[in-house]
Amino acid sequence: MSKPRETLRTELKALIVRELNLEGRDPSSIVDDAPLFGEGLGLDSLDALQLAMSVEEHFGVRIPEGPDGRTAFRSVDALAEWIETHPATK
Amino acid sequence: MRIALTGYGIVCAAGRSVAEAWPRIARGERGIGPVTLFDVTGQRASIAAEVKGLVPPGDGSVPWSRSDAMALEAAREAIAQARLFPAGLRDRRVGLIVGGTTGGMFETEGLLARMHADAAQRVPNPEMLAHPLSATADRLVAALGPFARARTLCSACSSGANAFVLGAAWLRLGVVDAVIVGGTDGLCRLTYTGFNALGAVDPNPARPFDVNRRGLTIGEGAGFAVLERPESAEARGATWDVELVGAGITSEAHHITNPAEDGAFAARAIESALASAGLSAAQVDYVNAHGTATSLNDAMESRALERALGEHVSRAWVSSTKGVMGHTLGAAGAIEAIIAALTIRDRRVPPTAGLEEVDPKCASLRHVPAGGVEAEVNVALSNSFGFGGVDTVLALARRGTARTSSESRPRVFVTGIGSASTAGALRGTDNARLLDARPLDVADPVVGLDPARARRLDRAARLGVVASSLAGAEAGDGVIMGSSYGDADGSASFLAKLFDKGPRLAPPAEFPNLVPSSPSGHVSIYLGLHGPTMAVADLSTSGEAAIATAFDLISTGASKAIVAGSIEGPSEIAANCLAPAFRALEGKIRPSDRSEGSAAVRLSIEPAEVELVSVVQGNDPHEVTVLAAKPQGRAMVIVAERSEEIVSALTETAWADCPVRDVVGAVGRHEGLGGFAFAAAAASIQRGDVDDVLVLGASQGRSYSLVLRRH
Repeated sequence: MSKPRETLRTELKALIVRELNLEGRDPSSIVDDAPLFGEGLGLDSLDALQLAMSVEEHFGVRIPEGPDGRTAFRSVDALAEWIETHPATK
Repeated sequence: MRIALTGYGIVCAAGRSVAEAWPRIARGERGIGPVTLFDVTGQRASIAAEVKGLVPPGDGSVPWSRSDAMALEAAREAIAQARLFPAGLRDRRVGLIVGGTTGGMFETEGLLARMHADAAQRVPNPEMLAHPLSATADRLVAALGPFARARTLCSACSSGANAFVLGAAWLRLGVVDAVIVGGTDGLCRLTYTGFNALGAVDPNPARPFDVNRRGLTIGEGAGFAVLERPESAEARGATWDVELVGAGITSEAHHITNPAEDGAFAARAIESALASAGLSAAQVDYVNAHGTATSLNDAMESRALERALGEHVSRAWVSSTKGVMGHTLGAAGAIEAIIAALTIRDRRVPPTAGLEEVDPKCASLRHVPAGGVEAEVNVALSNSFGFGGVDTVLALARRGTARTSSESRPRVFVTGIGSASTAGALRGTDNARLLDARPLDVADPVVGLDPARARRLDRAARLGVVASSLAGAEAGDGVIMGSSYGDADGSASFLAKLFDKGPRLAPPAEFPNLVPSSPSGHVSIYLGLHGPTMAVADLSTSGEAAIATAFDLISTGASKAIVAGSIEGPSEIAANCLAPAFRALEGKIRPSDRSEGSAAVRLSIEPAEVELVSVVQGNDPHEVTVLAAKPQGRAMVIVAERSEEIVSALTETAWADCPVRDVVGAVGRHEGLGGFAFAAAAASIQRGDVDDVLVLGASQGRSYSLVLRRH
């Protein structure tokens, strides 16, 4: 369960690039605490839905809708923290 | 010319006829309940607006879908009201236009998922004959026809409305005396799960324009109307009260699922519908809103109505009938146009079921109070907005309210040619190479796309963007592309995930790409094109049908320029199941070799070297050749693939002695070869090789002749 945060971040970056078809983007170029949506990577609400589904599929952790979800999606770091501090649903 | 509505038919959760459904709609009685058709465990919602007790008709020799069954009921009702009985269909030139998004999806979902998982399942299974969007038109032709011509189109949730626009074009062009137009969409797991995954559904019945709305309720249904020239209607003793007086079609070119929040292009569609009818905003009495009850739509639609109607937005009654029957997707535009017509006929305006507390963002609209109102409605609009930002607005009026506008009949020219296929990425006259006997040794034709902007585009959409870009698409243009089977493989993959992992793990980003009009929508978004955008589904004549549709719309003034052709992505299911299943109906079995590609021409009213001088659709290739324009200079015939059938169709016609060329050598086999034949034809004239070309397409009882001529 307790993966090192660094490993989790690396996995999440690869997941983001793969699931959101960020072709040509080097996962390691995604900054740990940079915003994912709006500015940052330029992702939108459809990406948020896809990413929430993928995180649930791969880590078994649900990202809720609303303010909590927005907190989790603030950055790769925030997402890693959310996954570490919330129980898997399966 | 006046376009009279002489018959209406509705099938939806509120009832199986106008007589049954309309009083409930007018009172705002909800037809929403628990889903009984399939398991919805784990979905956000467990309700829908189902049509109960539907029994597929037919003798079992061909499979019928719910979409087909509802379409037949609604079309029969419309025909009966118009007194255009089946006997009458044979004596008159009657056309048929069907809009929809899922066709026989519900009936084939299990099979698709199995085909995804197991290649051995990808065989020509006759059950799949119900799958393609065009199957509904085929069932209606068999049950009610013959028709003079039939066509199937998809522009997501504005499909039904666009069927009305195309029907009006056929009447104006004089190619039919009457046309049965409408839309149909049966409930299915794919759309139910897809909207669920997008978080666009309300667990409770939909509350359009309400401050507490949380999304739509999925519905199902069909709406069909008979459109007719008044003289033709009156000669038969048919009565009519309402006419289709105008239409506006725009594309937002913004996002594949989300509407542009300012409503600018939706407003432009409203303005264009009014302008084409010679009506002012002050004359609008009622608007049947798209009103899906998603947060984004209802706010955007309020902005659009404010922009288009100005101060008069506080005058026109507005309601969404989706609170009663849910969102019937490809049928919605047709059902709601009929409701708009009924408000005029019966002077009764339906309320928005579920609207209790108006969202401040929607407060500028004049919402109809609960229970509905009695009101003199002389002019009504029906708004329909679909995935990809494809917006259509219809304007209906009480007989004689709007003046008949003078109509010009612009000529249609080819101003650009592009293709992306195994023959490479070809621009302009280079497309004459499509007639080569074998493919050039070329690299992937899909190059040069911006990876960030192209990331949501599947292979089909990418091919379409390259071809349309090479054809010189411009900002005001529409995009109309043939798409034979939609994305069967993508649907199969999505359904396999639903069945294996449950609805929570159905991928939201994949869903919008499964609508057959999605590649056209992506082309519009990627290239920033704002004209009429849709797909046309017509099996192996999908490319010819798309070009014919663009011609119909341009030559009746609905658009100044449209990029038209075909887009066929790679498909294992088309190659091994669908295509051979349909070929087997003609007694032909071929090995499963299926290519991919997109060909596009830019058709425009701007004079250019190549003119599209005649477009004929019919049931038989000989008949459409006889009726085609005759060659005047050096002439050639171009077909998808040469066959004895095609050559014999030319005998004893003006085209009999012309060389016959085909495109199958250069680009391989798929259902979109008509688009390539047309591109090669335009390029051959532009290059000076010939003066006249007949593009002849024929498959499964559908035939098209398109004649291009040096101008």
